[in-house]
Amino acid sequence: MTLKTLLTATAVSALVAGAAQAEVKFGALYPFSGGLALLGEESFRGVELAVDEINAAGGIQGEQIELVRGDAVDNNQAIGEARRLISREDVKAILGTYSSSRSIAASQVAELSGIPYFELGAVADEVTGRDLQYLFRTNPTAETMGIMTIDMILDEIAPGLGVEASDLVIGVIHEDSAYGTSVAGHQEEYGAEKGLNIVTVQGYPSSTVDMSSLVLDLKDRSVNIVLQTSYQNDSVLFLNQSAEAGFEPDAIIGGGGGYSLTATEEAVGALMEGVLDVDFTQYAVNTEFTPGLEDFLVAYQNKYGEEPRSGHSLNNYVGAMAVLEGIGAGEGFEPDQIVAAVKAIDIPAGETAAGYGVHFGDQNQNDRAMMMGMQWQGGKLVTVYPRDAAVAEFQIGD
Amino acid sequence: MDTFLQIVANGLMLGGLFAIVAVGLTLIFGIVKVINFAHGEFLMVGMYLTFLLSTGMDVHPYLTAAAVAPALFVLGALTQRLLIQPLMSARDEHVQIFATVGLSTALMNLALLVFGADIANTPAHGVRSQVMLGEVRILTGQLWVFGAAILLVIGLQLFMKKTRTGRAIRATAQNRAAARLMGINDKFIYILTFGLGAACVGLGSSLIAPLYPTSPTIGTYFVLIAFVCVVLGGLGSIPGAFFGALVIGLVDALSGFYIGSDLREAVVFTIFLLILILKPSGLFGTRMNLSHVSP
Repeated sequence: MTLKTLLTATAVSALVAGAAQAEVKFGALYPFSGGLALLGEESFRGVELAVDEINAAGGIQGEQIELVRGDAVDNNQAIGEARRLISREDVKAILGTYSSSRSIAASQVAELSGIPYFELGAVADEVTGRDLQYLFRTNPTAETMGIMTIDMILDEIAPGLGVEASDLVIGVIHEDSAYGTSVAGHQEEYGAEKGLNIVTVQGYPSSTVDMSSLVLDLKDRSVNIVLQTSYQNDSVLFLNQSAEAGFEPDAIIGGGGGYSLTATEEAVGALMEGVLDVDFTQYAVNTEFTPGLEDFLVAYQNKYGEEPRSGHSLNNYVGAMAVLEGIGAGEGFEPDQIVAAVKAIDIPAGETAAGYGVHFGDQNQNDRAMMMGMQWQGGKLVTVYPRDAAVAEFQIGD
Repeated sequence: MDTFLQIVANGLMLGGLFAIVAVGLTLIFGIVKVINFAHGEFLMVGMYLTFLLSTGMDVHPYLTAAAVAPALFVLGALTQRLLIQPLMSARDEHVQIFATVGLSTALMNLALLVFGADIANTPAHGVRSQVMLGEVRILTGQLWVFGAAILLVIGLQLFMKKTRTGRAIRATAQNRAAARLMGINDKFIYILTFGLGAACVGLGSSLIAPLYPTSPTIGTYFVLIAFVCVVLGGLGSIPGAFFGALVIGLVDALSGFYIGSDLREAVVFTIFLLILILKPSGLFGTRMNLSHVSP
């Protein structure tokens, strides 16, 4: 036993004693300024509400959680802030990030430092596709969206129209950035796997001012189911120009973006009636399938004095609750202890405020994450799929 | 066959739309010799003005042109007087182009700040209703745009050829130094022309607004295509811009159907490159007059 070992041992026990009295720190890395600030802040509010709720109930492993904010205004700063959180603030794990590109950048830093990184909102496939040991994702992805649209055709649309799913003529159109392209790619792949007849897959720039040729092409091919992954402008353009060309498919399924926004509905009016949409869980949902949603809304209103501005806060809240409670059920805050604790999380569907369960599978992606199928009915976007979560009848055919 | 006719009709109508944006752009380029990169944002400003006026006062969007076109004239004139003119004496005239790029970005971000990223929807007041020409469906609003584009081109041609001011404008474009010697106030002519070019897109914006959702970035797509039309028709040629726009509209619609919507921009811009290489003066263009370079 040398003096050096003795000193180290003393220092370690002092640190441990210190930690027992202090709060346990977690990093919250979101774009708080710059162009993505609005939804970055909205996402962070979900984490903040989860932490408030857990602290009020006694914290995790007997300790109160302290959130340390990091501003991921761009990819470089996401990296810098991740380093600061890890080395200066000594956080035990990082939660984030809303933006996929920032998540990909910052999680590399955490991985190298061996600090767990929990992604609660970024949808790009690549976030979890990189064999990282310390990165976990709770939210649904572009792949989830693609699969949900196809499942909705199989489970509801084909039976509703009274035809075999393979007899439907399906056209996939998408805006041509990474978002639309990856969702469309999954729709094509999974649709083919299920034996669906996808006759065309076409991209276009979302800033386009004319989709009449595309509409005529779909009409010419007798397409009766259209899947569109789009932003606002191109959703409006497609719906208007379809009506103008006399193109009336049996179902239009939007992929998030423009189809979830009230402004789009206001722009096209009655054309939106009956249009379907797959996206993150929204607030018009059966609360028996989403226990805790009403409490979340009350807590949100109390803390921020307004309604949630989007579903981002809800999804981040659900992810943060699952992860933090999972860590609370484990032993210790060392990286490997945290990893072991979250890998043991096993929440079935229908037991979180967003409806989906939490269980980390391949690539540490939550393999129970799902989106919801919604439909515009009477000017409102209501959840219609899956049936457990529905608040209204799925309307299809006559 | 019906489909083909419908595509041709769609292409022509799209061409009319591009034309009404391209005319002002080519006017400014032909006379002031400045490529106005903020032209698309002028369109965007005009569309927001149309939206605000027509919803605020509950009038037909076309009527707002009476206010929007003059407002855009002022915006254009101010741009020339406050931004371009001080830079005219700069050693490198590319500075003016960079200035319009800066103005473009500034206007777009200003719109994002004021209106947010959500779309604004100008009420249609019936211009989205259809007329059938045989088997072909066309929106009444598209016909109005097309008609207005033709009238605008004819009107501008008459103005340039027949009026004293029009002749003074052409004289300044042909030889700025000689025009000054003849007693023409060239600075005033430039301000007037920039204003006129902007007023053209102002008129267009009131016609376009009820057809398309307005957003802060709406101008970027229009202006890129308008550049191609202007180059195809011959930089500075007003009828050239019109026919260039019709050709591009047709190419856009036909390639969108027969080649695929992913590739239509590739087709349009390949044509753009081919014109630049094979016939840089365009269909209607004359050789570039660079007399404005020497004062």
